[in-house]
Amino acid sequence: MPLQSDMVHSLKQSQAESHQADRGFRIPVGINLILSLTLAGSAIALRSPYGLAGLAGVNFIYFFLNRSSWLLLWKAARVFFWQSLVLLLLHYLRFSVDGLVPGLRVSCQLFLAFLPGMIFLQGTNRSQLVRVTNRFLSARSAFVLGASLHFLPLMITEVKEIYQVQVLRGSRIHPCDIFKPWCWPDWVSCLIVPCTVQALALAGEIAQAAKIRDFGLCAQRTCWPETENHFKSKRKL
Amino acid sequence: MISMRKLSLRDSLFLGFCAVFIVVFRMAFRWHLGISGHSMFYTIALLLLARGCVSSRWSATYTGILSGTMALLLGLGKGGPLIIAKFVFPALAIDFAAFVWPLYFGSFLGIALVAALASATKFFNTVIMDLLVGMDKLLILQHALVEAAGAVFFGVAGSLLIPPVLRKLKSRGVI
Repeated sequence: MPLQSDMVHSLKQSQAESHQADRGFRIPVGINLILSLTLAGSAIALRSPYGLAGLAGVNFIYFFLNRSSWLLLWKAARVFFWQSLVLLLLHYLRFSVDGLVPGLRVSCQLFLAFLPGMIFLQGTNRSQLVRVTNRFLSARSAFVLGASLHFLPLMITEVKEIYQVQVLRGSRIHPCDIFKPWCWPDWVSCLIVPCTVQALALAGEIAQAAKIRDFGLCAQRTCWPETENHFKSKRKL
Repeated sequence: MISMRKLSLRDSLFLGFCAVFIVVFRMAFRWHLGISGHSMFYTIALLLLARGCVSSRWSATYTGILSGTMALLLGLGKGGPLIIAKFVFPALAIDFAAFVWPLYFGSFLGIALVAALASATKFFNTVIMDLLVGMDKLLILQHALVEAAGAVFFGVAGSLLIPPVLRKLKSRGVI
């Protein structure tokens, strides 16, 4: 039953994603990933303040092209602030006032190295992500990656259920019990062990379901749209 | 192309779950409190759990590659593509230790030693990253040592959870 409800949820999500994808032009995922990695790499390679300022501008264009939300920029700005604070302090302790400008440069470089990845993720849905990973991982690894991400909400629900049942049993695994060393054995035996068993069981179920549907017979990725095209081309022949 | 032909699909999926949880914990615990190496607590624990439950030679490395790829795609960390190394270096150390001394999972001391070795790889990650951004050499050394010391502390603490978990799983015939 949980698997069925999860499938219904994923179907709804994919429909929502397809509706979202229909809204105007979007950068192709492969190009988007290359752009993201190039921008991140450039942030590490560039040293001059003008170069970094130019790169920040390019990142801003990339942000608009991906139609990312302003919330993302706000989150990134918060990270930048804390990171800059730590780095400026380190540089000040080492070089006094002279170290503040290089410290700020390093902080900008680090910020510009991780911003494109955040933008890429927000502009790319889950199925596109699997298609992208299939380009540099084997079909099997891409499936594993996609399935693990896909079943994550289900796993979290299972973990929550196990937690609630164990709390009802009287296990000492409340958030306040983390700081009590005499409660740590309960965390291991009542939460970590059952969750591991559940993860192994779920992995077994997914593997069995995939094998029943002939997963792994071909080395290449096999999925519905490609198979349909394959049949169409065969019919024409 | 990365492939793990010898692993069964069930084992691969379990390793995938471990990889996802490493990334989820990493995202959830980004509190920016300036505590160096706290991410090693769950990274090392989950890599050791993956290697302990799936007795393939490269299971920890596979988990590391998967979590690194996810982290890269999710834009975590500060090193761009270099983030994969953050997961793969400790995983390689765990797999190498399991190859040399397969019985270390049973003892607290053994697993703590391996966790310390795996966590200490953060030193190299920090050095590479700081060299690439052009920091001063003395500052790089200081920064890398501070990062590695924190990583070893948290990595060892996380690893101590694993021997009882593996013992219970073995006694119940799950692995």
